[in-house]
Amino acid sequence: MAATMFGSDLVDTQDHHPELRASVAGVVGKFGRKYFQDVVERDAKPTELWAALAESGFLGVHIPAADGGGGGGLADYNIVIEETAALGCPVLSLVIGSITAPIITQHGSDDMKKRWLPGIANGTLRMSFAITEPDAGTNTHRITTTAMANGDGWLLSGTKYYTSGVDEADSILVVARSGDPDPSGRHRLSLFVVAADAPGITTQDIPCAVQAAEKQFTVFFDDVELGPDALIGTEGNGLRQVFAGLNPERVSAAAINNGIARFGLETAAAYAKDREVWNTPIGAHQGVAHPLASAYIAVQQARLMTARAAALFDEGSPGAGEAANMAKFAAADSSLVALDQSIQTLGGNGLALEYGLADLWFVARLHKTAPVSREMILNFVAQHSLGLPKSY
Amino acid sequence: MKVVVCVKQIPDPADPGALDPETKTLKRDMKLILDESDSYGVEMALQLVDAAGEGEVTLVSMAPNNERSGLSTALAMGAASATLVSDPALQGSDSLTTAKVLAAAIKDQSPDLVIAGSESSDGYTGTVPEQIAGVLDLPSVTAAKSITVDGSSIKVQRQTDAGHDDVECPMPCVVSVTAGVVEPRYPSFKGIMAAKSKPVDEKTAADLGFDADAVGWAGAGQEIVDVAEAPQREAGEIVEDDGEAYTRIVGFLEELKII
Repeated sequence: MAATMFGSDLVDTQDHHPELRASVAGVVGKFGRKYFQDVVERDAKPTELWAALAESGFLGVHIPAADGGGGGGLADYNIVIEETAALGCPVLSLVIGSITAPIITQHGSDDMKKRWLPGIANGTLRMSFAITEPDAGTNTHRITTTAMANGDGWLLSGTKYYTSGVDEADSILVVARSGDPDPSGRHRLSLFVVAADAPGITTQDIPCAVQAAEKQFTVFFDDVELGPDALIGTEGNGLRQVFAGLNPERVSAAAINNGIARFGLETAAAYAKDREVWNTPIGAHQGVAHPLASAYIAVQQARLMTARAAALFDEGSPGAGEAANMAKFAAADSSLVALDQSIQTLGGNGLALEYGLADLWFVARLHKTAPVSREMILNFVAQHSLGLPKSY
Repeated sequence: MKVVVCVKQIPDPADPGALDPETKTLKRDMKLILDESDSYGVEMALQLVDAAGEGEVTLVSMAPNNERSGLSTALAMGAASATLVSDPALQGSDSLTTAKVLAAAIKDQSPDLVIAGSESSDGYTGTVPEQIAGVLDLPSVTAAKSITVDGSSIKVQRQTDAGHDDVECPMPCVVSVTAGVVEPRYPSFKGIMAAKSKPVDEKTAADLGFDADAVGWAGAGQEIVDVAEAPQREAGEIVEDDGEAYTRIVGFLEELKII
């Protein structure tokens, strides 16, 4: 079902987008919320859904055709992620694919592209993304994981945490210090692709409230040997290069939340149309209807911003960064309001697993904190969009 | 092997349909989608060409306003090209006129096989495939649940109340396909992108050799004199179980020939 409630005319930016929505919805519709809940409850992985998305080419829509992808862009990937989540399957691994693939596409060597992109596109290879550290969250400059020169390669040591999906990964894209500090004394960063099973890597899972198939991990690197072919792009240029993935990550996080909001509001509207407590459906009461209508408007605004941010990224526009931040901000806030009001509309059933709403809460809530916090987006907008002094 | 599939583009059944009070026909002046019942024919045709190892599937559709959204879906599934007949003069065409127009569009392509859905989901006349066969003077098989090619003939399992009949039919021929007998593929991303550049040959009634007064309202051999609301469904029967209610259930299912 390509939901008619959330008509896509408002948000779609290319003429094939309605067809893509319908097709993703068709493929994911064979699975749906119950399937996804079952996977999470069993502590399993949505292997069948992943394979179905791969078979239709949806995992690689944003990867160039020459590298085994669909030759589309983030605007297409946004639709894949949103439609998947809108059917009750918020697949966080899709967000990871929005970070790693564009970084490799834009900055990886030909060999690196050949090694990883076709596999990411066809679902047979996974690459995790490790940037956050215990003592360096939002402030990436404080990263201490270091790649020390070692022959014609490096020795990698340090600790990353909140690295998603390492248990499923074939490799990890690691942001690390390397090379000489810049003239102001700040450490330069570089990006490396590290085999997930390389000697010297150990992992520890971090139990989280998020009811997702992807787990969070602390990853320890202890003198992990890297060859010269592990480096992405130019040594010391990692901070600039990593933004090829960070803006898509924000758009993709927004897409998941937009999908969750749709699932919530569609469930709540259907319930409010049928449920009678006195002698009229509860949806006729403005106390129920207006908060849902208000939430719908905010979700449509967030979807519009997200689609526009994706299009700007595909165009290479310098405005993509601001738009991606604003999209993530809008989608996180609006989805939490929408999901909360949807739960409220269902009364006690809002908390029942049967209706599949309450257990979406922490997946949606995650994106108020990550991949960049609400507060840091406000800082960014205050400084860069409004020209206000930096406070930190 | 060349297979032509007739596809109808219809208003989305998820949206409430409306009748034009003047013409007493369904309003079709919105975005149209591929009739789901035709997606089975497209899937079956694609599988036949795959199995043959050569050939192609082409589409024929008649629709108002040069509408091609539904054709795009079938092209994204894998059909190679389409012929779209669209002409204001065709508005009001009855099923026989529709069949004549589609037959004229099919004839130029000299296909080995013509596949159509058994009936459309918006008109339900269920006569067009056989009328096409009649116009083209081709043999016709209805209610196919599977088709296999065997040399210059096809073998068809034809659905019946009791099960199926095995039918053989020489090609070229026209086969109407029962809904639900195959699982239509959802278009892949590459299919969706490729569909954008696949040829859609637009034709008018005149291009196919029809005078305006031979088609549409003017050429229709039938007239819609009245449209009435469907009667309300009657209330069901409530059976209190006295321990023997199961016999009523068994009897009911037997009556429906389900068991």
